[in-house]
Amino acid sequence: MFKNSAIMYGLAIFIVLFVTAQSLFFMIKAWKRGKELGIDSAKMKQTAISSALFSIAPAISILATVLVLASALGFVLPWIRLSVIGNLAYETVAAEAALEAMGTSISNTNLTETEFSTVAWAMTIGSCFPLVLLPILCKKIHKAFNKVIGGAEENGEKKKNSKNALGDILGAAAFIGIMAAFISRSIMGVQKDGASAGFMTVAVLLSAMIFTVALDLLCKKKNLTKLEPFVLPIAMFGAMGIAVLLMQVLPGELTGFVWRYYNENGDIVWRGR
Amino acid sequence: MKKSRTYIDKMHLWGSVWSVTALCALFMVPVVFSLYYNAFPQLNILLKAVVKIIPIYWGTAIIEVITYTPMLGAGGTYLSFVTGNITNLKLPCALSALDRSGYRAQSEEGEVISTIAIASSAITTTVIIAVGVLAFGPSITKITAPGSLLAPAFEYVIPALFGALGASYFTKHWKISIFPILAGVLVYIFVPSLAVGTMIFVTIVASVGGAFVMWKLKLIK
Repeated sequence: MFKNSAIMYGLAIFIVLFVTAQSLFFMIKAWKRGKELGIDSAKMKQTAISSALFSIAPAISILATVLVLASALGFVLPWIRLSVIGNLAYETVAAEAALEAMGTSISNTNLTETEFSTVAWAMTIGSCFPLVLLPILCKKIHKAFNKVIGGAEENGEKKKNSKNALGDILGAAAFIGIMAAFISRSIMGVQKDGASAGFMTVAVLLSAMIFTVALDLLCKKKNLTKLEPFVLPIAMFGAMGIAVLLMQVLPGELTGFVWRYYNENGDIVWRGR
Repeated sequence: MKKSRTYIDKMHLWGSVWSVTALCALFMVPVVFSLYYNAFPQLNILLKAVVKIIPIYWGTAIIEVITYTPMLGAGGTYLSFVTGNITNLKLPCALSALDRSGYRAQSEEGEVISTIAIASSAITTTVIIAVGVLAFGPSITKITAPGSLLAPAFEYVIPALFGALGASYFTKHWKISIFPILAGVLVYIFVPSLAVGTMIFVTIVASVGGAFVMWKLKLIK
């Protein structure tokens, strides 16, 4: 089969090596600079390890997307696409759009070489744009951002070196904004493929929050600085464990309870109406 | 001070080189496949598909580059955009590492920490996907397939991730957090199927706008 042929595997392995090489390159550059700046090696090591741990569960969900796409596209193309720029949600949409243009769909397991190649081209063209923009824009955006932040601080109270300068506040606010989108979806969103907001999403959300706060407190009280970098991954796995546990223990009516859902006509309806 | 500038400048230079190389590597895949099997797509059909994809993807790309670049640092930005999965993985990784390190995002130490975090996350993800596909292939579907014991763990990975991450931020910045979450929930009540990618812009504007007003009013310092 051409979808999982040797040439495709060759391409995939090349891409994987490329991405790994790039990551190692930046890691080594940063590490060296960190040493020059006097950052404790142990701190950098902890950062690397806790980030790796933190990435395991999301990586497995990404892996699951590869497998969803695999029935139509084979393993290798989705694997390549999700290793470079790939995004869980986008790749499925891109593949669907291309298949639709050819009058077929993601459930077609007998694509021809040309159909397959069309999907590969469409996915690549769709996702390549950030790489075109970055060399042009990245430096400019950084400079402009620092200027704006610097300027606003000069005009306000001169707090450039204080801990709570405007730049930090807006940076934190922007990130809180991103988290708020995912969190509000877990509280009130409805999804066609995926968990709509309901008992389980809120329960998992709250468990993860409680785990984090509790572990943070424990670290502070007992002065467990070694544990600190691992609070996040542990809390995340803990909450995922709670999800498994609740599904096993609680009745299906409760675990399946969502506020709103798609009915058979594809309309979103509130429960109980 | 002079030295610090050169490090960031070097990052931009290397980042640009890597981005262009990555672009070539990316296109190599369809080009090599089409050449090998002599299966170039029909231009009009490809165009039909691409016309559908480009407005969404390229539009999102512009907004993503503008939004995430200041948050990820120089090295982190180039690395994140090559490896992807930014909102659900790279950004949380970088920001939580930064938060725990105690360095400021705009400082060079912050730049170093976020680059290390993102690189480590990228390597882990790439390796897991590669090993998963090569070693387990189809049997992985059994783990995440609906009805299996561990399926719920992965079905709810997003609330688990953002709950854990959110808690440490919200306890520190609860004043900033209330407004964007409320805004998000309200918008979802009326537009329940809104894509989370679009929602992000709503909640960022609410959050940054709210924080700026509170800062001006000296409600937060």
